[in-house]
Amino acid sequence: MNPRLWKERATILILYGLTGCGCLVLAVILTTVIMKGAPALSGEFLFEESRNFGSEGGIFYQMIGTLILMAGAAIVCLPVALGSVLFQTEFLHSPPLKKMFRFLIYSLNAVPTIIFGLIGYLFFGVLLDAGVSWVTGVLILAVMILPTLHVSIHEAVESIPDHYREAGLALGLSPGQQMRAVILPQSMYGMVTGTLLGLARAAGETAAIMFTATAFSGVQLPQSWTEPVTTLQTHILVLAQEATNPKALTHAWGAGLVLLTLVFILIAATLWMRSGMEMEAER
Amino acid sequence: MTGLAAAISAGTIGLLFVSLVVESVPVFKTEGVAFLWGTDWFAGEVYGALPMIYGSLIVTGLAVVMVLPFALGSAILTSEFLSGRVRLVVKAAMELLAGVPGILYGLMGIALLAVWVRDLFGLIDGNTLFTAGLLLAVMILPTVMTLAEDALRAVPGETRDTALSLGLTRMETVMQVVVPQALPGLAGAVFLGLGRAMGETIAVMLVIGGIDRIPQPWFDLFASGQNIPSKIGREAAEALGFDLQWSALIALGLVLFMMVMTLTTAGHFLLRKAR
Repeated sequence: MNPRLWKERATILILYGLTGCGCLVLAVILTTVIMKGAPALSGEFLFEESRNFGSEGGIFYQMIGTLILMAGAAIVCLPVALGSVLFQTEFLHSPPLKKMFRFLIYSLNAVPTIIFGLIGYLFFGVLLDAGVSWVTGVLILAVMILPTLHVSIHEAVESIPDHYREAGLALGLSPGQQMRAVILPQSMYGMVTGTLLGLARAAGETAAIMFTATAFSGVQLPQSWTEPVTTLQTHILVLAQEATNPKALTHAWGAGLVLLTLVFILIAATLWMRSGMEMEAER
Repeated sequence: MTGLAAAISAGTIGLLFVSLVVESVPVFKTEGVAFLWGTDWFAGEVYGALPMIYGSLIVTGLAVVMVLPFALGSAILTSEFLSGRVRLVVKAAMELLAGVPGILYGLMGIALLAVWVRDLFGLIDGNTLFTAGLLLAVMILPTVMTLAEDALRAVPGETRDTALSLGLTRMETVMQVVVPQALPGLAGAVFLGLGRAMGETIAVMLVIGGIDRIPQPWFDLFASGQNIPSKIGREAAEALGFDLQWSALIALGLVLFMMVMTLTTAGHFLLRKAR
C-alpha cells in the first residue's frame, strides 16, 4: 500500500479524534446543565420568590432582575450605537480616521468585563451618585455591549448597495432625509441582530454587575433609582459557593438552565435571522 | 447628534484608560514600582501584585496549550474536509456555545471539575491553577475554533487546486500549503482567544482557590493560586470606595488592561495581515 495514503488516512483520523473530543466536551456541558437543572424546574420555582437564602422557593425576582438589566442596557445602548455608526459611515470620510474609529471599537470589545465593573462604578455609582443600584448596572452593561451593537449595525449599513444611496442623492435628499428614508430602513436587520446579541451578552454577564448592581437576598422589584436588583447570574454565583448544600446547588443548576435557555434563544434568533438574510441575498 | 454618539463610543476606551491610570496613582505613590513585583498582599498593609500577575499568565498559558490541538484540529477538519451544510451547522453550534454565560462554566467548575481534579490527582483541594486553566481552555474552544476556521477559509481555493493538481494528497495540501498561508490568521485567532481567557473573571474566580501566593516550586500547577480578575472580583465589594485597597485593585486592573490590550491588538493585527 502507498505509505502516503496511509499517512493521509491516519492524519484525518487524528483530526476526527480531536474534533470528536472537543464536541464531546461541549456536549457534556450542555447535557450536564440540562440534566442537573431540569429536576429543579417547576411552576413554584419559576414564579415564587426565593426563601431561606436561595435553598427554598423560586427565582422569580432573579429572572425579573436579569430582564431589567439586559433590556435597560439595550435600550440605552441602541441609540448611541446607531448614532456612532451613522457618524462613522456618513460623516467620516478619511480612511485613517475610519480605521482609528474601528480600532477603538475593537479595543473596547476586548476590555475585560471586570474592568467595566470597576470603572463603571466610579463613574455611575460614585459620580452619578447611583451607588450599588440597577441604574449603575444598566449603564455599565450598556457600555459593555456597545461594540457588539456597533459592529452588527455597521456591517448592515456597509452592505447597503451604493446605488441605493445614489438614488437617494439623485432625488436631492439631504443627509438627514437620506438616513431616515434609505439607511435606517435598509439596516434594520443589523439593528435587530445586534440588539439580540447584545441582550445575550448582557444576560450572561456576571463580573461587571456582581459588586455594582446586585444584592443577594431580600430584594424584590426596585422601587427607586438607587436600589439594587437581584439577578440569575449573581444568584447562581452565591449558591455555587455553597457547594456543600445540595438543595442550594440544585437551585443553582435550575437557575443556570433558565439562564442558558434565555441566552440560547437570543443567539439562535440572531443566527436564524442572519441565515434568512443570506439566503435572500443569494437569490 | 451622531457626533455625540460617536464621541461616546470612541471616547469610552480612552476614558477607561485614563481613569485606570489616575485612580491607581495612590498605590504607586505608597508602594512605588515595587507594587508590580511585591509578593505579599495584605489589605491595609502592603500591596504586591506579583502572585496575581503570575497566576494570570500561568492560567492563560495553560489554557492555550490545552486548547490548541483541539481548536486547530477541528478548524482544519471543518474548513477543509466537511461539506458546506455540515460546516454551517458546526459554525452555528460554535456560535451558540461561545455564548454560554461564564457563570455556568463556573458552576460546572466548582461542582464537578474541581471534584474530578481532586479525586483524579489525589489532592486535598481541587481548586487549583490547573483546574482554572482547564476550565478556561473549554471556555475559549469555540472562539478560537471559529476564528481559526475563518482564517483557513480565507486562503483562496485556487491555491488548493494548484497543490492538488501537482499531485499532493488532500492532507499534504492542507498541511504544506493551506496552513502555512493561514498562519498569521491562525496566530491571530489564538491571540484573541488568549485575550479573552485572560480577562475572564467569574469562572476562574470559583475554581482557582483564591490564595495570593506563588506556589512552591513555582511550576507546581496543582496548588491554589490567584489571578488578576479573580482578585478584583473577590475584593471589589469590600473595597468599594476610595481608600488604598481600591486604588490597588484599580492598579491591578490597569496591569490586566495592558496585558489584554497587547494580546488583542496583536491578534487583530495578525488577522488583518492574513486577509
